[in-house]
Amino acid sequence: MMNEKNLTIGSTVALPKAELDHLLADLRSNGYQTVGPRLQDECIVYKEIESLQDLPRGLLSEQKPASYRLIQTGQDRYFDFIPAGQSWKQFLFPPRQHLFSAQKNSSEVHAEGHTAGRNTKWQIKADDAPTPRYALVGVRACELAAIAVQDRVFMRSDFTDPIYRARREGLFILAVNCLHPNATCFCVSMGTGPRHKAGFDLCLTEMDDLFLVEAGSELGLSLLARRTYELPSAFVQTAANRATELAAGKMGRSLDTSDLPGVLTGHLDAERWNQVAKRCLSCANCTQVCPTCFCWEAFDKTDVLGNKTSRERVWDSCFNPNFSYVFGGNTRPNIRSRYRQWLTHKLGAWKGQFDVLGCVGCGRCITWCPVGIDLTEEVAAIRQEVKA
Amino acid sequence: MNPIDEVTQELQKIPWFQELKPEHLRQFAEISFLRHYKAGEVFFHEGDKQDYFYIVLSGRVALDLFIPHRGKIRFYTCEQWDNFGWSSVTPVVRTRTAGAVGVVDGIVIATDTDKLQALCDRDHDIGYLFMRRMVNVIASRLLVTRLQLLDMFAEPTETKTDE
Amino acid sequence: MTTTLIDTASHQAGFENKLLMPAWAEVVKITPEAEGVTTFALRFTDPEVQKRYRWEPGQFNMLYVPGYGEAAISMSSDVSSSNGLVIHTIRQAASVTKATNRLRPGDVVGLRGPFGSSWPLEAIRGMDVVIACGGIGLPPLRGALYAIMREREKYGKVTLLYGARTPKDLMYPDEYETWNKAGIEVQATVDRGDETWTGRVGVVPMLFYHFRVDPHKTAVLTCGPEIMMRFVIYEALARRIPASQIYVSLERNMRCGQGFCGHCQMGPYFICKDGPVFPFNRLGPFFNVEEY
Repeated sequence: MMNEKNLTIGSTVALPKAELDHLLADLRSNGYQTVGPRLQDECIVYKEIESLQDLPRGLLSEQKPASYRLIQTGQDRYFDFIPAGQSWKQFLFPPRQHLFSAQKNSSEVHAEGHTAGRNTKWQIKADDAPTPRYALVGVRACELAAIAVQDRVFMRSDFTDPIYRARREGLFILAVNCLHPNATCFCVSMGTGPRHKAGFDLCLTEMDDLFLVEAGSELGLSLLARRTYELPSAFVQTAANRATELAAGKMGRSLDTSDLPGVLTGHLDAERWNQVAKRCLSCANCTQVCPTCFCWEAFDKTDVLGNKTSRERVWDSCFNPNFSYVFGGNTRPNIRSRYRQWLTHKLGAWKGQFDVLGCVGCGRCITWCPVGIDLTEEVAAIRQEVKA
Repeated sequence: MNPIDEVTQELQKIPWFQELKPEHLRQFAEISFLRHYKAGEVFFHEGDKQDYFYIVLSGRVALDLFIPHRGKIRFYTCEQWDNFGWSSVTPVVRTRTAGAVGVVDGIVIATDTDKLQALCDRDHDIGYLFMRRMVNVIASRLLVTRLQLLDMFAEPTETKTDE
Repeated sequence: MTTTLIDTASHQAGFENKLLMPAWAEVVKITPEAEGVTTFALRFTDPEVQKRYRWEPGQFNMLYVPGYGEAAISMSSDVSSSNGLVIHTIRQAASVTKATNRLRPGDVVGLRGPFGSSWPLEAIRGMDVVIACGGIGLPPLRGALYAIMREREKYGKVTLLYGARTPKDLMYPDEYETWNKAGIEVQATVDRGDETWTGRVGVVPMLFYHFRVDPHKTAVLTCGPEIMMRFVIYEALARRIPASQIYVSLERNMRCGQGFCGHCQMGPYFICKDGPVFPFNRLGPFFNVEEY
């Protein structure tokens, strides 16, 4: 047994797998909603989990353009799949969020000079639901990078999204190092993974019989200190390092990021946009599964009489036909211009806006595109066309 | 001052006449005269036979068309150094394609178009300079017409959208 | 990039640390301007907000009609007159703006703002100013006109080029004489006139033909349909006015005003927070790219 006093941020311990259960319980008893991977509809999704029992066990996810399959490995391992169908952004930036409601409060007009009749006043009531405190269990390096990207979008010096900030500030991140990248992964190209560097509270590397756990914050440290753990043997540490190094070599895809904003925004008239527009269905799947896409729309839900209205925020997508509507029509009425907007934003304009690219290399948009459009292939084709 | 000198003096002020040699300016002045006009004064009606080409020196002249049920619609106004009646110097058009009416008192230079055409035919140097200038005038008129045709301020109609 | 001089964040109405939360404002006065265009004078119902609220010409508010939603509307008045009222001249065109048709004095609407960049009234001091606008593009420039008039001696020659579809679509016609007297040369033009119209018939860009500019000391401020602004820019550039002295107010689908919702993007810009007013040299590569 290691003495808790010897533990510091950056320390790594060997944690028996069952201890993770206690750690989850500890988080829950401290007011966290623990969310993590769960099997649902033959897909791994991120939902509330109560214990280790809820985690998928012995599953690999095989992802290809427009294809997602789970494979049984029979191994007693929890985190071998690669990023789930959904991303974590649903917890910080909810897909549907009530903002406020307003109630009509009409009154007789007595004041002079006013037209006789009733005046319309409104009583507003802000959403007062308590902000959930989430503990995210099993966050990959690409996913943590995506959270960092959205931090830059929603928590800026000029404006901050209060909903995002409140959830982000209460967040606990239990990260996991990805050991089985797959055909759609390219986090190495984007410089985001597969190994975690910082930004987590705790970081797991899953071995066959135990977790190697690195403490990344005071909070993580104090949770870890309450568990039963051992010092990791040199053998285990070497094996873990070897596994993460091997993982970096398993990238199924790559993306040349050199001068990416220039290549894309400098060639808005490339022929390739016409080609991809013929395949793209403008279904918006890519933007919904993307962990960094942040566009949203707000609208009023009104009762039949128009006396009560509820204002909601929902995810939107630059692929939706009315996304760019201005009085008189859509700025981008065609799929070509919408796909071009998405890609030139994510891999180009984003850099100018937030000083980071909008892609972390998770590959979700490739997997979940119903026609298998692959952004790495599109970028390569545009580079090729530009060079020719 | 004799009338020809008077016209020459006015022509010399117009930027695009400054390319002309003195004898060409003189020849142009000889077939032109100054005309003072009042608001409401009609220069010609749509369908009239061609006679003069006009350069506005001051005031404002409107070009109009009569449209049944809508009345007379003014679609262009000319001011200083703009010109109207230019279709009369083209070889094909034989009648006025619009009406012209003064809307603000002023002065125009009126040039006899038969004589102007003859002058341009006889001396291709002045003909070239004059016609080259006319192309510029027509191009800018076309641009105005195009922007008006687009009806920029109208209630827009929906553009077609891929769904 | 043009930026505001005041720290707008500390003068904003609405949100109070809640996303899209408006501040209520009461309709004080309604004035019809032209066919389908109405001016609303609004006062915040909370005196604290009313006291705090400040804006600069060119900025806009998000106007909220409960049950319908929000629309981005520029302030159209003089900053320092109108008794602190917020003046919006609205073209009643889409669902939210059409809903303003039903408003009567005493009704309330929601406001959030001000948002966006403003006209560069400081930067263009000492210069000749050409204000070129069309249709509903005049209201966002009206505040700039009044600001210039108030310090008229600080600017050179000031010319307003204004175009509308027909004479009855010209906005604020009663004010042109005041503007002329205050040293602003008003040149109005319409696309088509009837027999009673003795003014100009033509289009805004061609109004440049009627005066000479000294390109190095001339600034152009333009707002109107994008096609009109394009030709205004061509005319200005043809006269060798540097692109950095041509200021353009763009319209895109502004939904949040804070650069969050993504709808109003053009290239690297969120029009709602980086614009709507841009010097043209910043827009060059993205302006007039088809469907961008």
